[in-house]
Amino acid sequence: MKKKYKLEDLDCANCAAKMEEAINKIDGVNEASVSFLTEKLIIDAEDDKFEAVLEEAQKIITKVHSSTRIIK
Amino acid sequence: MDRLNEKQRNKLFVSIIIPIVLYIGCLLMEHVKVSDIPWMISWLQESNDSVMDTYPVFWFAPLFAAGMDVYIEACINIKHGNFLDEKFLMMIATLGAFYCREYSEAVAVMIFYQIGEFFQSYAVGKSRNAISELMSIAPDFANREIADGKYESIDPDDIEVGDILAVFAGEKIPVDAIVIEGEGYLNTSALTGESMPLTVKAGDEVISGCINGDTLLKIQAVKTYENSTVSQILELVENAANKKSKTERFITRFAKYYTPIVVGCAVVLAVVPSIIFGNWVEWILRACTFLVISCPCALVISVPLAFFGGIGAASKIGALIKGANYLEMMANLDVLVSDKTGTLTSGEFKVTTVDAVEGNTCDDVLKFAAAIEKVSTHPIAKAIVSACDNPVMESMISDVVNVPGKGMIGDVGFSKIIAGNAALLSENGVIIPEDVVATKNTIVYVAKNGKYIGSIEVADEPKLDAKSALENIRKEGVSKVVMLTGDSEEAAAKAAGELGITNFRAELLPQDKVKYVEGLLAMIQGEKKFLAYIGDGINDAPVLARSDIGIAMGSLGSDAAIEAADIVIMDDKLDKIASLIGIARKTIGISKTNIIFALAVKIICLILGALGIANMWVAVFADVGVAIICILNSMRMLLNNKETKNVEG
Repeated sequence: MKKKYKLEDLDCANCAAKMEEAINKIDGVNEASVSFLTEKLIIDAEDDKFEAVLEEAQKIITKVHSSTRIIK
Repeated sequence: MDRLNEKQRNKLFVSIIIPIVLYIGCLLMEHVKVSDIPWMISWLQESNDSVMDTYPVFWFAPLFAAGMDVYIEACINIKHGNFLDEKFLMMIATLGAFYCREYSEAVAVMIFYQIGEFFQSYAVGKSRNAISELMSIAPDFANREIADGKYESIDPDDIEVGDILAVFAGEKIPVDAIVIEGEGYLNTSALTGESMPLTVKAGDEVISGCINGDTLLKIQAVKTYENSTVSQILELVENAANKKSKTERFITRFAKYYTPIVVGCAVVLAVVPSIIFGNWVEWILRACTFLVISCPCALVISVPLAFFGGIGAASKIGALIKGANYLEMMANLDVLVSDKTGTLTSGEFKVTTVDAVEGNTCDDVLKFAAAIEKVSTHPIAKAIVSACDNPVMESMISDVVNVPGKGMIGDVGFSKIIAGNAALLSENGVIIPEDVVATKNTIVYVAKNGKYIGSIEVADEPKLDAKSALENIRKEGVSKVVMLTGDSEEAAAKAAGELGITNFRAELLPQDKVKYVEGLLAMIQGEKKFLAYIGDGINDAPVLARSDIGIAMGSLGSDAAIEAADIVIMDDKLDKIASLIGIARKTIGISKTNIIFALAVKIICLILGALGIANMWVAVFADVGVAIICILNSMRMLLNNKETKNVEG
């Protein structure tokens, strides 16, 4: 399943790159991309793991830049 | 400085303006003696030194005013284990400078840093706005018909398939629909970049995003807003920014290796000289300066931004690019392969000559053929039908059969008529006389009751602008232009001659086209050259997929084209390709300039920083200043095209 989310408060391009790399490593993720310019997160992951992946992704994102949120 | 949002305005005031005021206050206080201020003496100790020298603690006021949000965020990030944060470094650098009694310098640098961050965020915000403005083709409302012939204004999202909508003069078509009432013209410039009006009447399909001319049109929705052309285009362009170019991926990989190396150097810089010379505070400061200089923000922001601008610029001229990587490839386009019919030629056939054997008139030949071709939608059939001035009565025609790829057979009156290619006639036992010569065009042979009675020659013309467009494409550095077609050798040769193309292959089946393209690809293998194929998207899907860049033209965004191609050109103007190559080159040029500039400045400053020659001012410039310059350069991609559009009106 491939889903697109808007990211709130993503100010730093470096952070976007770090987030993208870390999210791609989550178990169950086929492909993820974070675009600093469009402020969008696109995740392509296995259907049954999707919820868990999304939670993990938010954790990673907060770790890199504390105020960034995934808008569901 | 237009439209700062609230967050930005707050930041401007709190982190920049107030600190500047306080800073100036402190500077003044450096020249004012404590003894000069009577009310101070009463609660401070008597002194002949300046206020600031006696109470350097006052310097904390502007420092914290400017740096508070930086320090807070630095601490939060440390809590999450993120030590390499720029803000943490700035915190150490400024507090360290304070410790070394360099008060005014620390405050000045922090203010300078905040100014820089502010400009950076402003520039990025402006770029994001510019892109979405380019994309302001989306309709905001629709007029749906309700009882009594009245209309309600609704959100386009709420439109359902089958709804009857009214589009008044000057309004945007909200969804893909069919005109049920009214006649007029549409402005398709939002989608195609062309201001040539498109005439429409009842029964015509119209797509969302087009602006209605002077007359009222009543339309019936065939798609919801979500599935209509405009939404698909917006989606496509947005996704395109996510599909990264090689340059962008290089930057990401570079930053990944670059950061640990720089950190390593910084640690060495902090520790080793301290052990040798002592004075660890100074060396830690230098290491911090070093790290601040090294921040790759400038590259990581400006390169994607340039590509973002390139994609936006392309969509403005009606070319939708599905990924930044395709834009990159277009800049190095070497071979252009094109389909003939409908791409290089108009796709509209016309009857050029009618020939009849003895005993028959040309009129008869045309009449009989037109009668049975009437039911066919093939362009050749249409040409024959429109060329016939006195058609046969409907009631005389019966039992018409279409033989795919070959022609039509049917009855007119009591005669059996066959109209098709040579193969069809011979399969039906008709002998075509030896002296009927094959010419350069497509020929429809006609037989009546088993006997050959004549032939009709049809041709389609090269597009008017095709020749000059191809010349421009060659000027942009494309070394080879090849035409592939399933049409006859003669027709291909004629078109090629008129278009100035020397390389062409005719009578190809789709799989032959793929093979030929593969051959061309093999020739440019390994070099930084690319091959693009232009087709109509429907029949050429395999070839489009196989090429480096598949370009689908025309069909104002048919689903099949959008699906199969990498680049979709909304109208059928070939000169868009030359423009695209230009845009691609400019984008890559800007990216390269940025990369070289940023790296050069940073490396120089890093060396100076390590040697202690560069102070924190240089560091902040090397980080934030360079980032701003690179971002402004990338923004040229967006703004330049805005200007051009205004000039054209």
